[in-house]
Amino acid sequence: MSLAVSANEYIENVKNGSISVEEFTAKTLEQISKHDSGLHAYLSINDNALDQARKIDKKIKAKEKVGAFYGMPISIKDNICIKGGKTTCASKMLQDFVAPYDATVVSKLKSQDAILIGKTNLDEFAMGVTTEFSAFGPSRNPWNQDYVPGGSSGGSAVSVSALECIASLGSDTGGSVRNPASFCSIVGLKPTYGLVSRYGLVSYANSIEQIGPLGRRVEDVALVLNHIAGKDQNDSTTVDRSNIDYLSGIDAGIKGKKIGIISEMSKGEGLDKNVENAFFKSVSAFEGLGAKIEETSLDLVKFTVAAYYVLTTAEAGSNLSRYDNLRYGYDLDLEGYEFKSYISKARRNFGPEVTRRMILGGFVPSAGFAGKYLLKALKVKSKLKKEIAKAFAKFDFLISPTVPILPFKFGEKMDDPLAMYLADINTITANLTGVPAISVPFEIHNGLPIGIQIHANTLQERELLQAAYALQSTTKLPGAPL
Amino acid sequence: MIHLVTKEDIEHIAKLMRIEIDDVSEYFEKIQKVLNYFDSLDKADIESEEIHVQEVSVNELRDDKYIPFESKLISNLKSNKESFVRAPKMN
Repeated sequence: MSLAVSANEYIENVKNGSISVEEFTAKTLEQISKHDSGLHAYLSINDNALDQARKIDKKIKAKEKVGAFYGMPISIKDNICIKGGKTTCASKMLQDFVAPYDATVVSKLKSQDAILIGKTNLDEFAMGVTTEFSAFGPSRNPWNQDYVPGGSSGGSAVSVSALECIASLGSDTGGSVRNPASFCSIVGLKPTYGLVSRYGLVSYANSIEQIGPLGRRVEDVALVLNHIAGKDQNDSTTVDRSNIDYLSGIDAGIKGKKIGIISEMSKGEGLDKNVENAFFKSVSAFEGLGAKIEETSLDLVKFTVAAYYVLTTAEAGSNLSRYDNLRYGYDLDLEGYEFKSYISKARRNFGPEVTRRMILGGFVPSAGFAGKYLLKALKVKSKLKKEIAKAFAKFDFLISPTVPILPFKFGEKMDDPLAMYLADINTITANLTGVPAISVPFEIHNGLPIGIQIHANTLQERELLQAAYALQSTTKLPGAPL
Repeated sequence: MIHLVTKEDIEHIAKLMRIEIDDVSEYFEKIQKVLNYFDSLDKADIESEEIHVQEVSVNELRDDKYIPFESKLISNLKSNKESFVRAPKMN
């Protein structure tokens, strides 16, 4: 059986005995050892994967109750805790940190017999769009290894695209699931803020980030969402949606639905011509599916990159202040330091982007600057929420290219943080407003993937996945050339 | 008002954030450029806007009861003694 199966095909094949969990797990591990030295999607691999697979096979044979995933290999971004294993956040600061508990999403997947096959690479503390800021070296785009895979959940996207697992969990603060999904030609969903528990996700900008699934098919992402969504007493921002099946009726279609093209994201000088062309082909595809399409405007989009980086650096400055190397950390002798100098010394292990954002995060909320930066950013966020609510009074969905540019080569934007930040312009709005958004692979242009982004109103994931599924049905894309 | 950030400002903030940097000029230009970009917020029409901090009302709190954490976290630390965290001297 090929590794390029959908989640459902995998489950059916295991159920009818054409492949055992152990065989599929072994094949997946083989794929990883064959390709991952080049791709570097993984930071660590689950040594017990085959044992776990055999246990699930035994349960199947004994006709015991088996969880919904039937031993499906799922990878987990390395800023999400799995008990007893390293959670490094791709930072030297946490190179030795062993998580003492499971994130809620991890316990949920485990309880449904998923095999958590490994931890995936990211930009340090999820700050970046390329994985180039990983302290352990970047991941490579399976479509062309000279190109970045996107980020920050780049390792997750690469692992899915390169058949090194069936699905993955990433985290999305400003596009970190959708951006690499677009760059690697897979599906990536940022759920509504509060739909998925963040307990056990290492905080970066916790007022807007969400854990989200990545997969090769829309229905795979829906299946994972079914099992990770819902209320969690360890995360008071979660909402109860446990009675919703995101898979049922996923093929309902979008006939008669109203779709708005967000003009600020779909034209203008920052938009690559090839991305623009692909986007307008997707508009025709939506029309072909029976949707009614109109242009619409979200005036504040042009201020979202500034607002987003003000808010996230401020939150990062506060969240990362816990890294004092006393509670979490690496070997650094205490002798010869007093308290403050020890912490400053230990924090030299933060990479350049994290250091930059810590400094910015000190600036923007500080006396004399807060009114100029932080309060204005919060006002942009409040007003943008009203703008998008108004748009959703008229439209069922809002669409744009996921990323305004094509995947780019390593090093191209490393020295220009601002150019790097601008790659987020189309994805940030969903985080600032809390609405769900998904990236669906749509075209391969000269060997480089282009994804289309669909937003839906708060907690309308079911409808969002239906629209994504409909768009997916109009495409026939090849797998990554390995 | 245009407030240009100086190298001294950055050094000061870095110190407050307990970040040790050797050469502030390595960070100066990039941070200056990002802060200048943040100035674009001045052009947003948001004067009359109110800030909503509480976005979802939390009306269902979990029971206020003690749930012991199973593993001994202190023993995971690099530097510990019995039930204490070892830390550098405060001065």
